[in-house]
This record gives sequence, C-alpha cells and structure tokens, in this order.
Amino acid sequence: MSALLSLALVLQEADLAKVREFEAKVRAACDKAKPAYVFFGQGSGVCISADGWVLTNYHVAGDRDGQRVRLTGGRSFVADVVGWDPKGDISLCKLKDAKDLPYCELGDSDALRPGQSVIAVGNPFMLGNGNWEPTITLGIVSALHRYMDNPGYFDAIQTDAQINPGNSGGPLLTLDAKVVGINGRIDIKRFMNRVNTGIGYAIPSNQIRRYLEAFKRGGRVFEGFIDGIKFGECGDARYANVGEYGDGVFIETIKEETPAARAGFQLNDIVLQVENYRIYNSNRFHGALANWPQGEWVRVKVLRKGETKELRVFLGEPEGICRREMTAWPFVTGMTAGTDESFAKVEVLLIEREGPAREAEMKPGDVIAKVDGATTPTWADFAKAMSGRKAGDEVKLVVVRDKKEVELVLKLAPKPERPPRRP
Amino acid sequence: VTLLLAVLGLLAGADDDAAALARVLARLREQVAKCVVAIEVDRESDPEGRGGAGAVAAHRDYLNRPLGPCSGVIYEADGIILTSRFNVSGTIRKGGLKVTLWDGRVLEAERRGTDESRDIALLTVDAKDLPTLPRADLAKLAQGSLVAIVGRAPDKASPTVNLGILSALGRMRDAAVQTDAEMNYGNTGGALVTLQGEFVGIGCNIKPLSHWGQSGGIGFACKTVEIDRLLDRLKKGEHLEAEKLPYLGIMPGEGDPDVEGVPVGRVVPGSPAEKSGLKEGDVITEFNGKKAGDFELLRSMILERRIGDEVVLKVLRKALDKTVELELKARLDGRPEE
Repeated sequence: MSALLSLALVLQEADLAKVREFEAKVRAACDKAKPAYVFFGQGSGVCISADGWVLTNYHVAGDRDGQRVRLTGGRSFVADVVGWDPKGDISLCKLKDAKDLPYCELGDSDALRPGQSVIAVGNPFMLGNGNWEPTITLGIVSALHRYMDNPGYFDAIQTDAQINPGNSGGPLLTLDAKVVGINGRIDIKRFMNRVNTGIGYAIPSNQIRRYLEAFKRGGRVFEGFIDGIKFGECGDARYANVGEYGDGVFIETIKEETPAARAGFQLNDIVLQVENYRIYNSNRFHGALANWPQGEWVRVKVLRKGETKELRVFLGEPEGICRREMTAWPFVTGMTAGTDESFAKVEVLLIEREGPAREAEMKPGDVIAKVDGATTPTWADFAKAMSGRKAGDEVKLVVVRDKKEVELVLKLAPKPERPPRRP
Repeated sequence: VTLLLAVLGLLAGADDDAAALARVLARLREQVAKCVVAIEVDRESDPEGRGGAGAVAAHRDYLNRPLGPCSGVIYEADGIILTSRFNVSGTIRKGGLKVTLWDGRVLEAERRGTDESRDIALLTVDAKDLPTLPRADLAKLAQGSLVAIVGRAPDKASPTVNLGILSALGRMRDAAVQTDAEMNYGNTGGALVTLQGEFVGIGCNIKPLSHWGQSGGIGFACKTVEIDRLLDRLKKGEHLEAEKLPYLGIMPGEGDPDVEGVPVGRVVPGSPAEKSGLKEGDVITEFNGKKAGDFELLRSMILERRIGDEVVLKVLRKALDKTVELELKARLDGRPEE
C-alpha cells in the first residue's frame, strides 16, 4: 500500500516538475523581456539595441520627434522617430543620450510554428502607469501569414496572448526572449467594446528586420510591390484562367520598360514563390512582397509551361524612389531625374516650366556625369553629392548630351512654403 | 517495486507536457475546489448601474451579472467566506443569499463588511471546521508564474479551472495582482492559486474594462495580505467606500519638449488648480520643491499627498514676450465623482 502511495507521489512530482520546467522558461522570458520594454505614450515599444533603437507602431509614435518615454521602472528618455512606415504600422525611434540599455534581439519569425508559446509585453489600459510595471500575457501562435489591409498587416502573426488597447507597439516574444513581432491590432466583435477576444495580430520580426536599414536611413519607408504587372488569382472564374485556386497568382498583363518586364515575366506565368514564401493567392502575394521595402531585389519562382523558372525582380518603381528622395531635399532643382533598377545612370526626365533647371538650359535626356568636379555615375553618388546643400547654392554640373559633355550651373531655389508638419 | 517505479517514472517522462499539465491541474482542482463555494443571490431589481440609469442600467447590470451562481472562497474555517463585492452588491431579499459548499450543503449566508475600491465582500455562514487553502508566498512568485483561478460552474457541483500567468504583481496601488487567466462573472470571486493550490488572492471585479464584463485577459485578484489587513473591519460589518484620491485638476497639454515641466492643457473649473490661479499654457516645473518632470511623475507626486494638503507649485508663464516664474499654492481636493 505504502509502495503504491509513494508511486503516486513520485508520478505527481514528475508531473509538477515538468510543468515547473515550463513555468521557469516563461519566467525567464519575462525577466529578460521586461527591462527592454518601453512605455510609449498610450502605447508600447521595445528596445532592440543597447544604444537605444526602439520599435513601436506607427499608430503609437507616428513620425513625431521629442516624445517622452519610459523604461520599466520609470527611467525616462526622449524618443525621436527616425524611420516610419504608416501602411505597415511600424515606427523606429532613437532614444536620446541612451547607452548600455537592456534590449531584446529580433528573432526569426519564419521559424515560428502555430501552437508555439509566446509572451506579449505591454501596457493595456495604461495599468502600469505610475509604478511602471508592464503587463505580461502568455499565449500561443494561433496562425501565421494573416493578411489584412488598412492599415496593412500584410503578413501578421495571429496570437491568443491577450493584447488590448495599450499593448500596441509592444513586443511579442518567444520563450527565449527574442522579439518575433510587434503587437498592434486586435479583432473585436462588438461595437464600442475594445477588449481582447483571443485574437491579436503582430507584425513579424523578419519583415521589420528587412526594413531596418531603410528605417535607420530615415524618413518614410514604402513597402515593396512589383511595378509593371497586373495579376489575377488562379482559379478565379472571371478569367480565362490558368491553374486552380491555391496554385498562386498568374500574370495577366505586363507593361513594357518596367522592372517587371526587365525581370523577364511573361504572360500567364504562375507565381509560386517569393524568396522562401509559398504564394497561394493574391493576398499572400501582396503580403509576401510587402515583407521587403521598395528598392530591394527578391527572387520570384514562376511556373511557365510546366517548368519552374527563377526571376530576380526589383521592388518598387526606381523613378518613384528617386523622385521621393529629391522631394526630401531642402531645395528645388526644377527637374526630375530618373534611373533604372541598377541606379547606375542618372538621367534627366522632366524639366519644370519654371525653375533652376530651365534657367540652366538643361534638357530631358541629359545624363548627369559630374557634380562640382566629382564624378557621379550612380544615383547614390549623385544623391551624396547633392546632400548638405541649401537653397541659393550654385552647383556646377557636367551632363552628357548627344555623347558630348556640357557644363551647366544650377542655382538651387528655395522650396515652396508648405504647411508645417505637426509637432 | 523499485523496478516498477523506475519503469513508470520513465513512462511518465516519455509522456508529453500537455498531459502532465492536465494531471497537475486535475489535482489542483481536487485540492482547491473544497475551499471554493457557489453563491446564489436573490436581489431586488435595483441595479447599481455603472453609468446610465433605468432600463439601460438594468440591461447593463443583467449583462454583467447573468443568471446562475457566482463564486466565493472559504477564508477561515469557522464560516468566513470572501467573494467579490460585485457578486453580492445591491439589496438582497430576506434569506436570499445562499452558499453551496463542496459537499452539497446549502447554507444561508449573511453579508457583512464590503470594500468598494478593492471589490471584496465578507460573508458568514453557520458552519465549523471548513477546509481552507494554504497561502502562497508572494515573494516566491514573479511575473510569468503559472496561476489558475478556481470558481464554481453553473451546476454548482463542479469547479472551473482557468489557467494563466501572473501578468503583474503590483496593481491597484499594490492591493491586487493581475492575471491573464480568463475571469468572467461566475468564476469572479473564486480563488487565484499557484500550481500547487496555494492561495494568492480573490478574483475580483475591479475596473471591468468591457461594458458587459467579458474577460479581455486582464483580471485582478485582491491579495490575501491586503484582505488580512482589512479582515477585522470587514468582520465587524464596515462598508469601506472607495478611497478618494487627491487631485489638482489639470489636463496635460502640448508644450515645448525642451522646456522641462508639465505644460497645462486645461484647467478643470472649480478644481484646486483653478482656485490657485493656474492657467492654460502654464508650465509646472516644481511641485513642493521637487522637479515636476513630466505628467506621470507629477501625478504620482500628487497621489502621494493627502486630501486637504497644501502644495506649492512653481510655474513658468509667458507674459508680455517674456517668461515669468510664479509660485502658486493649491489645497488638494478629493476627485469629484465622475
């Protein structure tokens, strides 16, 4: 009898030890994640480097500078937003005068599996304000690659770790305390009742990592797309169609002289894969591409007449990217320059009716070769040579026109007045 | 026997974690359920509507307190039961408070003391030698510790167990812990326990954040140490009203981030702030000789004071193209009812 009793006890102890082992993992993750948590206004953030890079949601931090934030325990810092992506709902901030901060590294969100335990750290309903103790909730990864538009959670992790208003911008972490997502959205079913129902969404860390460099360069970052194609969904009855639903998407039209055409897409190609992401419908295609910012190259696997082919595609429209960079300059040149995906040639595309370029007698088709004596064969060289200048400066340009070098002097004009950005 | 033990031990080891957890929870349920009671309340229809009145309040009250029993915990062996105040508030009809024990005994209970801000109530039943729970050592718990809330199911006979973690340890001015174990009307008032069935606190209904009381993964449990502190007063039948907090009466505004201090966005009419002469656009730099820092710091400094205290504010005010420094005195008031 006593043997049986002790047997039961041993089994009980074994069970408890096993659960305790899991509990210890959760507690260790909490201990590591907590100091890296950032109280960010009515939302949350997480520190991802010792020198104070902080990730949060765009709907928490926006693009504002000089926001006062706090770490767990109440240490206070001023945060400036450096890079932001309103559509993907991420802002990257830098804490002023920060060093040796506790932080959590970004993890690999592609290694997540549904069912895996995760914790969310946040400040729901501002409960931690005052004693600066964040809320930690435990849950699992419910699903991966969820797609929602407006704002674009194009490739979201779905979790049942309870997240609520105030969790926005806070981290979702694996039990080894790696940030695998930024929580930012919940689904609710009743009007005016913004509390969690077991369905929360996080932006995956791998998407964020691919944007990080662009965020750190500063300014708005745009999510990737393939310029020059229209695509249809395989199996969609509206099209004289190729494939079946679930096969992927097929290329319906291709515009010439676009990154898509140059990448070698052909009509009726079925897109199977973008890098390592399997494409099964049009939402997933859109979502997978948005994992990279514009200006990056991705490998796309297509099925063409029974054979798979791999294409290298540039994301975004190179001219659009140049135009955006030029509008960020603190002066006006009166022209629009463009380039192709290689960014290897800076070509003048448009001359405005009035402005420095018209006065300098610049012509569309000119290829910019030198700025103030320095050769500028690529877009990056040109952008670098133009940086640091201000309205009123004179810039000596050498352009190539009809295989001849022509010298021009561009007198930079001030930017027209615009309503100021909100503080 | 040793061999048998070893083999079974190995088998248990090969078993998966989920099964181990299920067995731990089953045992916990067995241990804790004896100390958790079902409470049925027959009350007059005088809802204490949280906002709204009449039919709206009644409807809201219905949503928050649907039909069926709710939970309480045996706190002391001689018939002391604690539950959420919300479970037993309102006007109870004569003989309308019934407690069902684990063994099926149905006892008439009496409501004694209540505490509004911690949302706890003390009931007594005429019974002796009831089982009670061992206490958890809060110092050994941390964020991430596994906990479960044990309540009573609608059939009154069986317990419910909801698993979660401790989300935070110091909530509601350190009176409560926070958990993500699902807590709804029914298991609210039940016992929050550790994996070994040690008592952490009473699940209470402080600050329900959805208007019909559905759990959003944010539940609070009033700590046993806090209850112990109040126990004598509750036994005597005292009704402790929500503690009024000192307040100044400003809303923070947008200010120059380079100027240290709290920019005043709005001054509440009739508040101590208005009486002291504080104006919109002022920047509060010091509070009782200490740097005001930012709004949160100022707020915590105000909360440390008592109602009726006189405080000195140092304020920057823009007047005629220059900034002047003022010293204002304000007598802190209690926050008016919202």
